[in-house]
Amino acid sequence: MTPPRRLSRTPDGPDADPDDRSVPLEAYLGALATLDGMGSASLRTLLALGSPSEVWERICRGAVDARLRNALAPVARDASGSWAAQARSVDPVALWTRWRSRGIGAVSIGSPSYPACLLDDLDPPVLLFHRGDLDALAHPRVAVIGTRRATGYGRRVAHELGLDLASAGVCVVSGLALGIDAAAHNGAVAASDRAPGSTAETAVDPSVSGRTQAGPVAVVGGGVDAPGPSTNAALARRVVGVGAVLSEAPPGTRPAPWRFPVRNRILAALAPVVVVVESAERGGSMLTVEQAQLRDRTVLAVPGPVDSPASAGTNALISEGALVCRGVDDVMSALGLLLEGVANPPVESRAEPDGDAASVLAVLGFTPVSIESLSRDLDLDLGRLSVALGRLEALGWAERRGPFVERVARSDGGPRR
Amino acid sequence: MLAIAHSATLIGARGYPVRVEAHVSDGLPSFAIVGLPDASCRESRDRVRAALLSSKFVVKQARTTVNLAPTHLRKAGAGLDVAIALALLVATGQLDADLLDGHAFIGELGLDGSMRPVIGTLPLCEAAGDLRPVVAHADAAEAALVRPDARCARTLSELVGALRGDLPWPDGEPRRSHGSGPPDEPDLRDVQGQTVARRALEVAAAGGHHLLMVGPPGGGKTMLAERLPGLLPDLTDQAALDVSRVHSAAGALEDTSRLLRRPPMRAPHHTASMVALVGGGSTVLRPGEISLASGGVLFLDELGEFPAAHLDAMRQPLESGVVRVARAHVGASLPARFLLVAATNPCPCGVGPFGPCRCSAAQIQRYQRRLSGPLLDRFDLGLWVDPPPASEVLGQRSAGESTAVVRDRVARARERARERGVSANRQLRGEALERAAPLSAEALAVLRDHLAAGRLTMRGAQRIRAVALTLMDLDGLHGPLDAERVQVALSMRTHAQALGVAA
Repeated sequence: MTPPRRLSRTPDGPDADPDDRSVPLEAYLGALATLDGMGSASLRTLLALGSPSEVWERICRGAVDARLRNALAPVARDASGSWAAQARSVDPVALWTRWRSRGIGAVSIGSPSYPACLLDDLDPPVLLFHRGDLDALAHPRVAVIGTRRATGYGRRVAHELGLDLASAGVCVVSGLALGIDAAAHNGAVAASDRAPGSTAETAVDPSVSGRTQAGPVAVVGGGVDAPGPSTNAALARRVVGVGAVLSEAPPGTRPAPWRFPVRNRILAALAPVVVVVESAERGGSMLTVEQAQLRDRTVLAVPGPVDSPASAGTNALISEGALVCRGVDDVMSALGLLLEGVANPPVESRAEPDGDAASVLAVLGFTPVSIESLSRDLDLDLGRLSVALGRLEALGWAERRGPFVERVARSDGGPRR
Repeated sequence: MLAIAHSATLIGARGYPVRVEAHVSDGLPSFAIVGLPDASCRESRDRVRAALLSSKFVVKQARTTVNLAPTHLRKAGAGLDVAIALALLVATGQLDADLLDGHAFIGELGLDGSMRPVIGTLPLCEAAGDLRPVVAHADAAEAALVRPDARCARTLSELVGALRGDLPWPDGEPRRSHGSGPPDEPDLRDVQGQTVARRALEVAAAGGHHLLMVGPPGGGKTMLAERLPGLLPDLTDQAALDVSRVHSAAGALEDTSRLLRRPPMRAPHHTASMVALVGGGSTVLRPGEISLASGGVLFLDELGEFPAAHLDAMRQPLESGVVRVARAHVGASLPARFLLVAATNPCPCGVGPFGPCRCSAAQIQRYQRRLSGPLLDRFDLGLWVDPPPASEVLGQRSAGESTAVVRDRVARARERARERGVSANRQLRGEALERAAPLSAEALAVLRDHLAAGRLTMRGAQRIRAVALTLMDLDGLHGPLDAERVQVALSMRTHAQALGVAA
């Protein structure tokens, strides 16, 4: 792997100052990234030719020789034939202005605001587009990842990890996909909802500074303006509001399949600790784990039922020696941080149910069951069963979701995490 | 010479009187039918001519014009054949004009001169008004349902003979006695286990609450749905007439000797077209499945397979109980007061979120997106139906209540709804619901908890109250809603997440 090449900055290209009217080199880098099939490796190969603006001019002239072309990644090589035509129809400056006006920024390797944690990576992205505040990355970072096809259990654990980590001042990094990713991000943004006045508090009490809740960061495969599936659009806006969305792909890119594994390496690079909540035996999350292991990251896995396909991957990781994640404490100790000053939800004492409610709770597991089968197994009529369920709901032990009942609290009396 | 005969034509489920005018004059021989006839009506010309000849009448070579008044109304079908033939006979002087007075002729002619039954005899006879309907012999029983004075004939020559007084009017087919043989409905007793589902069926029947069943294939969703019509009480006289009229207009009345007394059940396949479901067509405006299910149960199996547009077209009729079908030239209001029962698999593979499901998240989303939120909102009851365990299917568990027992309870509950001025509790809204279903202190606390926790919307809470009220009615309880009924209603409530997957 070639060592990262620091880009020399053109004399007229000062650092990314949002108010600056001149054209920074990121404008040309960004324009280069919009070319079909352009990935990080190909971009780096091209930059061997000179500064981004020079490379851009050469491509416009169609002066990319065959030798260089062969050095490109296959996707880029196939598409490079049409680059000249494509480049001539694009004005990098106009493109750049348009991005800036939509609140989309870009940092290139070597720029002062480039995330420091990526600088000494194996394969750092040459250019990162971002929306939101990159300072979110200044907090300790933990990647919470997992399958799109999550179970209720996985989503709940991911949500609570996101919530607790964000409240503990940890930046939750994830991919903004459906399932676990979305749940983790939802939890993280919920933490900032919970403490809306936190900035004012830190100003008063410096001892808490650095331990206030941290905004989440999403690394997505497509463009930062339309990340992930459309169902997550609202979530993406909230992540931008309190944290940041990052991508290597230029704005407007629809995520092609090859972009996800490439994205996964950034996830692994950003976070020293990676938590896999749920994953099938072979899946995108396992690719991220491979990337994390390449980089000597600490990998934690959330154990799951042994017969659940969604937990097959995580259980396998544990048997191979990954750390076990039973909750936020395990993640914090892996990070080497103590869980102090965390605005944990107040510990509520949960009254033990009695009568019918107790017998219902005794058979209720964390996997949802239908009310029908509960009634059958307990031989309770619907009236008594419903009253018992209502009691359990009122006490916070269980929840009815449509025709299902699910246990939501452990019986050790501890709070729901 | 001019002659007039009366008849009727069908639009939607309603008959409209039609005046058939025939004019025969000298000139080049021709035969024209005017007055917005549709294709089958225009073909009358050839049928009538052949039938007249077969019946040994003379067909004059003359300029013949038949006008169907009122001319703004589209006329469809062959039901005007007999009236046209008689008007021609009068116009050509083969029959005295006054013999047709006071009659309305409804029937189709065969080439051999026989009179054949038509679709919609019941509403057509209603349209006869002061006139005495004369129908084909095969339609006599159906006509007699609304017009006991209706007359019938087997052939055109028999009809002319009877009009002239040469022959006696033939009797209609002897009417079979009422209630002969038990109604052939599946019994609730055959359902093994499924206590919650049985209760939900009972509540749906008593309160008219729409029911959604979700579950893997083989869980018994269809079996349960088939038992729902049996739980509904017999139709009242007025309802029976309304239902029979629609079925007659659609040609779906199987037993023509009596009104439909039992609530109908329709189970259209998901490939049914929009017109087949909501009704329509270019001229006749045939009643759709939702109108045929009016007064009874509309069962949509595989709800997720129905095109979204078709399902959304049902939303408005679900609220208003009427579907107004409009076309460029005609429009018709058809009844659509049905109890909607739908069944769906949780996902394309059918296993659902808690089994070894093979569907991708995107597949599940696509499957569930077909069920629009507003449609799911219409379901007051939601059920997860799992196949019962083998021990229960084969075991000797005591059988549950039979259909007859439950139907009695349902009838009593419906009676109480009628006292509130509605036919079922589902129709109680806003102020009326507030008055009919006050909450006890405990019940109020339960609902308030759920609202505060975000598990229930205001609209949802109102639906819970309606269902709880139905439960009170079924249990014969009076007074404010108690907490237990509200809890049971909560257990049977469906919402967007009823399919078990939260994206």
